[in-house]
Amino acid sequence: MDDPRIDDFQDMFENSPCGYITLQTNGRIARVNTTLLRWIDRTADEMIGKRLSDFLNMAGRIYYETHIAPLLRMQGFFNEFALDMVTAAGEPIQMICNALEGRDAASKPVFTRIALLKATDRRRYENELLKAREAAKVSLASERETSELREQFIAVLGHDLRNPLASISAGARILGRDAKTEKEHQVVAMLQTTVMRMATLIDNVLDFARGRLGGGITLDRNARKPLEPVLHQVIDELRLSSPDRQIEAEYAIDSPVDCDRTRIGQLVSNLVGNALSHGSAKEPVRVRAETLDGLFRLSVANSGEPIPQAAMEKLFEPFFRGEVRASRQGLGLGLHIASQIAKAHEGVLTVTSMPDETRFTFVMPLR
Amino acid sequence: MGVIERNNVHVQGSGERTMVFAHGFGCDQNMWRFVEPAFEGEFRTILFDHVGAGGSDLKAYDKTKYSTLAGYADDVVEMGCELGLRDAVFVGHSVSCMIGVLAAQKAPGMFGKLVLVGPSARYIDDGDYVGGFSEKQIEELLQFLEANHMGWSAQMAPAIMGNPDRPELGAELTNSFCRTDPEIAKAFARVTFKSDNREDLAKVDIPTLILQCSDDIIASKEVGEFVHKGIPNSKIMLLEATGHCPNLSAPDEVNAAMRTFV
Repeated sequence: MDDPRIDDFQDMFENSPCGYITLQTNGRIARVNTTLLRWIDRTADEMIGKRLSDFLNMAGRIYYETHIAPLLRMQGFFNEFALDMVTAAGEPIQMICNALEGRDAASKPVFTRIALLKATDRRRYENELLKAREAAKVSLASERETSELREQFIAVLGHDLRNPLASISAGARILGRDAKTEKEHQVVAMLQTTVMRMATLIDNVLDFARGRLGGGITLDRNARKPLEPVLHQVIDELRLSSPDRQIEAEYAIDSPVDCDRTRIGQLVSNLVGNALSHGSAKEPVRVRAETLDGLFRLSVANSGEPIPQAAMEKLFEPFFRGEVRASRQGLGLGLHIASQIAKAHEGVLTVTSMPDETRFTFVMPLR
Repeated sequence: MGVIERNNVHVQGSGERTMVFAHGFGCDQNMWRFVEPAFEGEFRTILFDHVGAGGSDLKAYDKTKYSTLAGYADDVVEMGCELGLRDAVFVGHSVSCMIGVLAAQKAPGMFGKLVLVGPSARYIDDGDYVGGFSEKQIEELLQFLEANHMGWSAQMAPAIMGNPDRPELGAELTNSFCRTDPEIAKAFARVTFKSDNREDLAKVDIPTLILQCSDDIIASKEVGEFVHKGIPNSKIMLLEATGHCPNLSAPDEVNAAMRTFV
């Protein structure tokens, strides 16, 4: 046998799982159900005849007058709005409400019904989301500002480092002309080597900063000028700076290469520099440049310990530095810049590393 | 974009004189839907939305300009110049009452009469002055507004801003009269409830009618009386209507009161 309360509408109104309020057209409370009274710890006598506003916090009162009441008049209903009621003890209790305006045959408003659901947890959750969003916004803005400042600083620093370096280089050249003893020659050669290494580092830093600042790697392509002499020059310089090492170079460039020759020179310099740092000192570094099937291919290979698998994935990321002796420690930008130069030429830079050989290969279309 | 599009200005009716209706905090020009038609026969009527509300151009919302009521008053004056207003009647509701007071000062001759529905020269109590709210309560309101997004979401924004190529959103467009970007709503609430125009009242030199509701918790009788005492050539009429929006809840009474004045 069914419980009699199932069909008891009075009971359903009073003990519904949501609160109910009915307002007169003058905004005074006409009816309120038991559930709501229980939630806010009031009696019907306390509430009937009063304004709904008397049981709202101030924010809710203003919101009711400026938004809810007008909207009910204009569209006849208003769903899913938040309202804070106040308990007898003065504690706020968060509600989410739907309201509708009852109208007579002449469309005149005759009452307003409001259904209220307790939403304390939901509102706490929403507030937390709002706060988290606000915090994320602030931290993102400050992060952006810091990183922009840092990159600008790097760019300025790079520029400022070039001038004193040029003076050192000029000074070393002058000293080199008058050098007499073997020791003097050695010191001058060492100075030149250091200057060159430093210049490469600065170029990489500047390119990196420019890339991050949105400038990217800019190219000055020219297919008419030959690439080979540039490669010769770069490799000769590297040989000079590492006199105790062997660099073998082969060239088979038969077609014009539409590239920025200075940039390709920088790429070769970075790759060979990397091979000299990480490869076995007993074996030569092997460079090969060729044109074949519409492609320009350049590879740099060295012997020695293969690159660990974990390091392979991060090789081309900025500031990545493998295990290397301290005197050779760089910024970890060389391979990153090289891969950026490859990308700017619509080419790719790849690496294979076996126990007998580690080989970087740059391939780009001739165009 | 000119002021007409920017402020979603609608010119209707016909007559020698012009009546401008300015809505308050909360909704838009729809607030006048039961009042404006009653005056279309004798007046050229102008309805508009403040920038940030209703169908106004949200892109034109400038945080600095609209951080004071003067910024809103400048828009009213710009609109008045564009439409060649002389000796017009300015009808303001709620915060727009003080916007009208400022506009009348900025452009002498543009308005010949002011009708202020539920005005307040300052909402926050100050010493002996009773505005009805404490500073803390207003801060609570600003926080509370975030809990009521009024169905606003980034996805809905194009439809709300009157973009007709998303008709599928039309069906969902409830609450559209009161919906606006929550950030803007919050900023407008701040400028409204933190405004103080008590010193501007004495500078009003045109006939002014104050319509005061019974039982209005936003602008109480005391607040209405203060405005009445402050404006030299003003009279105050107490309406039977309750609440803060008699223009919606008791338009007949409002219209009859306005008729005795204009």
